[in-house]
Amino acid sequence: MIEHDVVCPFCGCLCDDLELECEGGKIIKVQNGCALAESTFMTDTRLPAPIRRTETGWEKISYTEAIKETAEILQGADRPLLYGWSSTHGEAQSVGVHIAELIGAVIDNTSTVCHGPSILAIQEVGHPGCTLGQVKNRADVIIYWGCNPVEAHPRHMSRYTTYATGFFVPDAQRERTVIVVDTRRTDTAGIADEFVQIEHGGDYAVLSALRAIVRGKTSVIPAKVAGVSKEQLIRIAEICKTAKFGAIFFGLGLTMSRGKYKNIRNAIELTDELNRYTKFVISPLRGHGNVYGSNEVFTWMTGYPFAVDFARGIAFYNPGETTAVDILRRGECDAALIVASDPGANFPRAAAAHLAKIPTVIIDPHVNATTALARIHIPCTAAGIDAAGTAYRMDGVPIRLKKVIDRGYPDDAEILKKIYDRLNGGTGP
Amino acid sequence: MKCILNTGRTVPQGTSVEHKGSDTYRTVASAGFLNPVDMMMLGIEDGDRVRVTTPAGHIVLIARPAEGVAREEIFVAIGPYANHIISSETHGTGMPDFKSQRVDVEPTKEPVKSVGELMEAIGGLRYDRT
Amino acid sequence: MTELWVKNACVIDPLNHINGEIMDIAIRDGRIVESVSDRADVIDAQRCLTLPGGIDSHTHVSGTKVNFGRYMSPEDMRAGRTKRKGKMHVTSGYYVPTTFGNSYRYSAMGYTTLLEGAMAPLEARHTHEEFTATPHQDMMANTLFDGNWAVMDAVREKDIRKTAAVVAWTLKAARGYGIKLTNPGGTEAWGWGEDLTGIHEMVPHFAVTPAEIITSMIRANELLKLPHSVHLHCNNLGKPGNYQTTLETFDIVPDLNPARQTLYATHVQFHAYGGGTWKNISSKAEEITRSVNSKPQIVMDMGQIMFGRTMTMTADGPMEFNLHCLHHNKWSNHDVELETGSGIIPVTYSKKSAVNCIMWAIGLELALLTKNPYQCLLETDNPNGAPFVKYPEIIGLLMSKRYRDEECTTLHPETEKRTSLFALERELDWHDIAVMTRAGQAKALGIVNQGKGHLGFGAEADIAIYPIRTDSVDPAREYRKVVEGFQKTRYTIKRGRVVSRDGEIIVDGANATFWVDAKVPEDLKMENDPEFIKRFEQFYTVRMSNYPVQDVYLPRGRRIETEVFT
Repeated sequence: MIEHDVVCPFCGCLCDDLELECEGGKIIKVQNGCALAESTFMTDTRLPAPIRRTETGWEKISYTEAIKETAEILQGADRPLLYGWSSTHGEAQSVGVHIAELIGAVIDNTSTVCHGPSILAIQEVGHPGCTLGQVKNRADVIIYWGCNPVEAHPRHMSRYTTYATGFFVPDAQRERTVIVVDTRRTDTAGIADEFVQIEHGGDYAVLSALRAIVRGKTSVIPAKVAGVSKEQLIRIAEICKTAKFGAIFFGLGLTMSRGKYKNIRNAIELTDELNRYTKFVISPLRGHGNVYGSNEVFTWMTGYPFAVDFARGIAFYNPGETTAVDILRRGECDAALIVASDPGANFPRAAAAHLAKIPTVIIDPHVNATTALARIHIPCTAAGIDAAGTAYRMDGVPIRLKKVIDRGYPDDAEILKKIYDRLNGGTGP
Repeated sequence: MKCILNTGRTVPQGTSVEHKGSDTYRTVASAGFLNPVDMMMLGIEDGDRVRVTTPAGHIVLIARPAEGVAREEIFVAIGPYANHIISSETHGTGMPDFKSQRVDVEPTKEPVKSVGELMEAIGGLRYDRT
Repeated sequence: MTELWVKNACVIDPLNHINGEIMDIAIRDGRIVESVSDRADVIDAQRCLTLPGGIDSHTHVSGTKVNFGRYMSPEDMRAGRTKRKGKMHVTSGYYVPTTFGNSYRYSAMGYTTLLEGAMAPLEARHTHEEFTATPHQDMMANTLFDGNWAVMDAVREKDIRKTAAVVAWTLKAARGYGIKLTNPGGTEAWGWGEDLTGIHEMVPHFAVTPAEIITSMIRANELLKLPHSVHLHCNNLGKPGNYQTTLETFDIVPDLNPARQTLYATHVQFHAYGGGTWKNISSKAEEITRSVNSKPQIVMDMGQIMFGRTMTMTADGPMEFNLHCLHHNKWSNHDVELETGSGIIPVTYSKKSAVNCIMWAIGLELALLTKNPYQCLLETDNPNGAPFVKYPEIIGLLMSKRYRDEECTTLHPETEKRTSLFALERELDWHDIAVMTRAGQAKALGIVNQGKGHLGFGAEADIAIYPIRTDSVDPAREYRKVVEGFQKTRYTIKRGRVVSRDGEIIVDGANATFWVDAKVPEDLKMENDPEFIKRFEQFYTVRMSNYPVQDVYLPRGRRIETEVFT
C-alpha cells in the first residue's frame, strides 16, 4: 500500500512530499526522502515495553506501573524538570505544559541548547522573516551562515532555495547566488558561489563589518576581519545590496560560538539595514522536526518559548537561571521527566550526570543515551510514524504529521494525560 | 596540539541517531575530523586515536582527515563524545560553549569507549537490548 | 437538561427593540426560551444592566503573528501575569496576553464571541489551535486574501465567478469565516520590499489594482452570499493625507445587500488623516463620517488608540516596517507565500506627541459624528490601538463630555486646532453602547441568525450582567462608575452556563468555532482546476492534500453552509 504526501518528522524542513510503501504493518520503501528520512522510517527499532532500573540491571514493568511510579516521582519532587518535547507533536507538548503548571515544575525544550540564543536575539530586536515559499519563489541571493544544510537539512536547498524552481526564479541554479560562511569548508561551502572562511568566534566582527560597509563606512574596515579580507567583505556587501531578494539562513555556528545571541542579534540588525535598500529576510534553520512547535505551544500557553518555571505559581522565564543545563549543572532539580529527546547525549557531561543522580523518567520511542541515566523508560509512539499530530516547520507553518502504521504503542499524549490525571486526583487537563 | 572544538550535525550521525547503542553510531560520533596538515604535525594517520582533553575531562576519538576543517580546529559530530569534555557553564545564556571549547589534542593508544561506557562513567547503567 | 432563570434584569436588546426593560430571561439547554420549570437555578440580576454577550468584530488574539508578538515580548509577558487559581490557568501578557489570558479577561468584561482579525490560510491550523485554547469565547477567523495569487489572477481576468470559487475553496480549507483584505495588493508588493500608494496603482507583476481587488472581492462575496461582508483594512494606513484613499475606497462600494453592509471598513481612525506630513497632520473624521452617514452600505469600526505602550501587529507588512524606521523599536516581519504578509512592532502612544493626541481624538470623533451607531462599532484593533481591556474607558469617554474635557486638558496643545473633538457635545447613551459592542457586530458579521447578539427566544444564552444600575448612575457625570462597571461583570453567561462571576472564571470552557462552507457550481470547483492545482505543485511549499485544516482542529465546529450560485 502506498501512502502519499507523508510528512517526515525528523528535521525542521518537515518535507511533506514523501511516498511510503507499507506492507504487513511495516514501512518497506521511502521515496523522495533524504537519507535521514529513510533511516527515520525504515530502521525504526523501538524499546518493546516499559523498563525500570534495578540494582543490577533492568526489568520489564507494565504501563500502569510505570505511569504510577512516574506520577509518584513527580509528586514527591520539590523542583521537577520536564525537558525535551521537540520530536513529539503539539498535543503532547500541551499536556506537558499543563503538568508543569500543576506541579510547579520547570519545563524546557531543546531550543535551550540549539536556537535558544536566536530566541534571545529576537526578543531584543525582532525577527524579519517569511515562509519558505517566499524564498523559493523570489530569492536571488541565499546566504548560509554557520550552518551546513547538506548534512543537517539535506533537502533544504532542493525544496526551498538553491535548486528549487520558483515563480520568479525559474532558472534557479543560474539565477541564484549562494554565499556560505563557516569556519571550515563543508560540503555546503563546496557548492557556494562565495565561500567566506571565518576564524572561530569571528562572526560578530564580520557582521559588524558588513553593516558598516552597507552603511557606506567602508573606510573603517581593516585589511582583514576575523580572517576575511576586506575585498571579500566589500564583494559580499555589494551582492546583498544589489539583490532583488536576499535570504539569510543561520544555524548553530552562530548560536553556539562565542557571542551566542549577540551574533544573531547582529545578523538580524544587518538584515534590518539591508531592508532599507532591498528586500532581505533572515531565518534560523531549526534542527528537530517540531522544536518550533514546542516554542509555539509554550508561548501561547505560558507567554514564553522555553525555560518556563512555574515554581512561583506564575509563569517565570529567565534564561541562564531557568534553562535546563543550568538547573542540572547547579544540581537544582530533584526529579526529571524527559520526553522525545536525548539530553544524555546532547548535554555537557556534568549536566547529564545529574540526571543519573535523581529519579529520571524518559518517555521516548527509542532507547537512547538518556535511557542509561534514567530510572524508568516508557516507550510510546513516534509522531509522524505511528501517531498523528501537529508539527511546526522551521518557518512557522503548521503541518499535520500522519499516522502511517500502527505498532501497538500508546501515544505519548495519552501517557502524559494519565500522569496528569494521577497528579490531579482524577480529572483531566 | 591546542585546537578549538567544533561540533555539528552530519548525515551519518543523523541516520544512526536513534540507535545510539550501535557500532555505526559509535564510529560516526567518535570521529574527530582534523585538517590533514595538523594530522601530519601530530604524526598520526587516518584511523589513529587521539586523546582530547579539557578542564571538564578527556575523551578518546578516532582521528579522520578532512580538508575543509580549519587549522587548529577539530570537528566532532554533536553527541556524547563531544559532550564528555564540554563544560556545563552557559554564561547566563542557557547555551553551553559547544563551539568554542579549547582543547588539547594528542595521539594515544587508549581505546574508544562505547556510548554505554560513557553513560556509566557518569552514573548510568546501560541498556543493551536494542 | 439544564435550566437557568435570570430575573430582574434591566435588559437592553437593540435587535429586539428592548431598551431598559426590567424582565426575566429563561434559559434551557443553552438557549433562551419562553419559560422554565421551578427547578431552574436562579440568578437575581437585581435590576442591573443586562446585555447580550459582547462581540468583538476585529481583534488579534490567535495565530502566527499574535504568537510572534508574545514570544518577542517577554517584558510584556511579565507585566500582565497572573497565578493559577481554581479553574484559571496561569496567564501572562498585558498587551498581548496568552490565549487563556485573552479568554479570561474578555470573559470578565462580558465578551462571548470574537472574530480574529487576520488569519493566513497557509497557517490556519495555528489559529485554530489557539482558538481551542481561548475556551470561553466562540471564535471566527477573518481569512486573508489581499496578496492571494489565485485571487489576483482571477481578478485580472475579470472573472468574478472564478474569484468566488477561489474564495470558497480557501475559506473551506482554512475553516475561515469571511474575506479579509489588508492593504490589498500592497502585501504582495511587500514581497519585494515595496508598497502601493494609491488604489489605482498596479500591483507589480500581477497587473491588478487595489480598487479592482476590492470591487471584485465584494461582488464575489455577495455572489457566494457569505454571512459577513468583505472586511477591509484600507490602503495607506497611517500615512498623513490618507483620508483621500479612504474616501476614494468608500466611493467605489456598491450597495449589494439589504440585510447588512456591503463593506466593513476596519480601524478607520488610522485611515482618517489630513495634512501631508507628520507636522501638519489633522483629523478628517468629519469628511469620513459625512461619507459613511450617506452610505448605509458601509459599516466601520473606530480603531481607537489609547495612551500607553502596546503592540502593533497587522498583515500590513510595509506599514509595520515604516513604523520600525520611525521608532527604531524591535521589528518582526512574516510574509506568507502566495498569500499575504505581516509585521509586528511595539509602539507607545504618548500625550506628548501631537500626532498621537490627534489620533486619539479622531477615534472618538468617528463614533460621535456617525449618526447611526450600527455604522461605527467600538474596537481598538486590539492590540494595535490599545489592549481590549481598555474598552470600558472608551465607553466612559463616549458617554461623558465631562470625561473628554478633562482628558483634553492633558493633551498636546495642537490637538484642539487639528480636530473637532473639543466642540462635540454628543454623549452616547446605554443603547448606543449596546449597539456598538454587540448588536451592531452581530448584524455586521451576519451571526444574528446563529443566535448571537440578541436575547430573543431561540437565541444562544450568551449574556452579560454588569454591576450598573442605569436608573441610578448618570454616565455623563459619573463616568468612573461607568468605566468600572464595564470592566467586570457580575455574571458572564455562555450558552446558558455561568462562566465568569465577578471577574473569576469558574468552569472549563467549551467554545465553538464558526466557519463558512460556501458552495460553488460543480464546474468551478478549484480542486478540479488544473491551474489552481499547478500553483500548489510548483509554488507553494506545502502539498495541496496537506494544506486544508483537518476536522480534528475544530472539536466543536459550527459549519455555515451557503447556497450555491448559478
